[in-house]
Amino acid sequence: MIGVGRLKKNGRPSYSINLKGFLPGLTYMPGETTLHRLHPLIKLELLICYGLMVFALPHYIPGLCLLIILLAAYQAAGMGLTFFWRKLRFIIIFGSLIFFVHLIFVHKGVLLWQSSLLGLQLQIWSAGVTDGLSLLFRFINIISSSYLFVATTDPNSLAYSLMQVGLPYRFGFMLITSLRFIPVFYMELSQVRNAQMAKGIDLEGFSLKKFSLIIRYLFVPLVVSALSKVDSLTISMESRAFGLHQKRTYLEQRSFTRRDWLQVILVLGCSLAFYLVMHRYI
Amino acid sequence: MEEPVVKLEGLTFTYAGSETPALKDINLTVRPGEFVTVTGPSGCGKSTLALCLTGFIPHSFDGVMEGKVIIGGRDTRTCTAGELAGIAGLVQQDPESQLCTLNVLDEVAFGPENICLPPDIIKERVKWALSAVGLSGFTDRLVHTLSGGEKQRLAIASVLAMRPQLLILDEPTANLDPRGCREVLSVIKKLHQEQKTAIIVIEHRLQYLLPFSDRLILMEEGRITGEQQPQRFHYYYPTFKVKDDQQTGSACPSSSHDVDGKSALSNKPLLAVEDITVKYEQKIALKRISFSLYPGETAAVMGDNGSGKTTLLHVLLGICKPDQGRVFFDGEDITGAGVSRRARDMGLTFQNPNHQLFERTVIKEARLHSHFLAADLEQSLKRVEQLLERFDLSSYREQVPFALSLGEKKRLTFISVLAYQPPILLLDEPLVGQDMERLELLLGAINEHRRQGGITIMICHEPPVVKCCCQRVLFFEDGNLIFDGPTEEAFNELARRGRDEYLPQSCFAPEAVKGAMMGS
Repeated sequence: MIGVGRLKKNGRPSYSINLKGFLPGLTYMPGETTLHRLHPLIKLELLICYGLMVFALPHYIPGLCLLIILLAAYQAAGMGLTFFWRKLRFIIIFGSLIFFVHLIFVHKGVLLWQSSLLGLQLQIWSAGVTDGLSLLFRFINIISSSYLFVATTDPNSLAYSLMQVGLPYRFGFMLITSLRFIPVFYMELSQVRNAQMAKGIDLEGFSLKKFSLIIRYLFVPLVVSALSKVDSLTISMESRAFGLHQKRTYLEQRSFTRRDWLQVILVLGCSLAFYLVMHRYI
Repeated sequence: MEEPVVKLEGLTFTYAGSETPALKDINLTVRPGEFVTVTGPSGCGKSTLALCLTGFIPHSFDGVMEGKVIIGGRDTRTCTAGELAGIAGLVQQDPESQLCTLNVLDEVAFGPENICLPPDIIKERVKWALSAVGLSGFTDRLVHTLSGGEKQRLAIASVLAMRPQLLILDEPTANLDPRGCREVLSVIKKLHQEQKTAIIVIEHRLQYLLPFSDRLILMEEGRITGEQQPQRFHYYYPTFKVKDDQQTGSACPSSSHDVDGKSALSNKPLLAVEDITVKYEQKIALKRISFSLYPGETAAVMGDNGSGKTTLLHVLLGICKPDQGRVFFDGEDITGAGVSRRARDMGLTFQNPNHQLFERTVIKEARLHSHFLAADLEQSLKRVEQLLERFDLSSYREQVPFALSLGEKKRLTFISVLAYQPPILLLDEPLVGQDMERLELLLGAINEHRRQGGITIMICHEPPVVKCCCQRVLFFEDGNLIFDGPTEEAFNELARRGRDEYLPQSCFAPEAVKGAMMGS
């Protein structure tokens, strides 16, 4: 999700498309913890297994267990609960909203509580609580686990690892070049906004005409700049033989060691065991 | 005799959709180890020549190519750019957009990995290439944290790692400050002295290259013209004349303040800043800056990239709010005033014109500032017409502004500001991409503004221009204003501090350039 926010601090950037309001600081945070050092593909395997379990076990108890495991992982990654709350506050608040909507509108199971408020009949049913909690945990677990993955995995290392296990290298470099140009385009965006202000294009207040003007004056220079950068990048990559051969070699070998293979099996085994235990219980 | 690395025979190329050939009947031979400098005005076909030498033309660009291009014994008509990768390497103008990976090591290894070399050989090549450009200790650095000069040296290393027989550098210093420029050019010099690679450099800043160039090739309108009409090239700054409406072809303005109808120097500053401090995250971008400018002053802002020059212009216009300090215009405190209020009195042009072109036609773009900021719209629009004519842009009035050359875009953004006549002009490197004639026009307009009592604050990396046109220099270093005073004194102080790259003396006198060309 992309939000349009006004960052006034130090005067720039003023209007900028950013993820800060929704997922603050969603970026890789280098560290030396076990989780950081884990092979990126094993972390990807963990994320996939975790995600599968979140969906395969649609109940609040496994959801709660998965959340506890995730919080332990945050702790192990040196981030802790304060970090979790600070960075994912919006997600938790949004998840709580989902919970309350279920609590109020799902009328199944056993009636737990009822009251009348300003002529409105409020009822809370058991299914409303369980379904609400289940969705709340599912929502938090999926987003928080992805967040933890991004925060502890060097994207460059992930892309190179994926290419070395068979991802066509053209796709791998799509990811790498995108990451490479994020700071470039972010800077350009702020420069375009500055240029708009310098031309006296007043963006205080809101009207449809003003909004269409902002969009037009923002996207035209950005798209032109992006296209010119793509031209230059293509020349640079092709002149260094990119795409000449079906395969390529790599300076840094990120292949799997025996220990890595053991970790792969361990992750699969633990995930399966967790699933079987929980499935039997629910 | 050794086989030539480059052999061009009757090369003519016309881009699809164009009637005029970009290159006409080019014949050129370059031998191994030779150092060739190619120069010429903007749009003369230099970059097209580089694309032909690397095989991108005819394979990646639509158009008609005639003649032969033989690179390292291979005909480019049957050999793609990728297949020529180990033979010819190209370094482009913009260091930002030619680096495709996230860190230095991956960038240099990128080429050798693509040609499937084994890891131990790649490692050897990476080590060698990084050491050749002086970046040996940079292997773990992230690309986006490098300076412009370091990025350009990295781009050279990444091409060198392919061990090409021919290295082509297309204006490698165009986007760099004097320090970055010196870094890159000394790397090129070192490569020429230590390696056997043939080098072709397309460049305007000849003063550094001529001493070790084997040949200087001059291009004009798609042809190699040798030493013809050399006075039209950029490196002749020291001899230029400033043309304006009042004094066509007059000598450069002296340091005296000959403002029309006004006293030589007003006692009251038109613009003053007091104790300005700006912080970005943990870094101080400007530290306690104070100065005043009087009507009729043209001040050059100089300093390395990242020293706070652009931030200063943004603070003056209000784009960037200072953490501390105040800005005064005509005695009034405008620190809290909005950008659109200040923009009526201060016209800013940005370094990269692409960021400030919003409209679909040149004429609409030229009028855009006036629509939002002019006090008298009708007069301002009339002035737009006159300025388009004067700055050779009237023939493009219905064209898309993005299709213009860099120099034309710069002139267009300058015109749009000049048309609504703000008393203060804030110009971020306005002279880039201008040939001699256009440079004189631009400086003439700045001089005219000065004569009318206006102030110009211009970020400029060309010491001869500063010497000739500015009465005052503000020199920045790491956010500090380390010198503020008359131009002559500024150059003396910079010489004392060993900042030779900022001295006009470092540029060639015309006689020296002529001599070099006669010798080629």
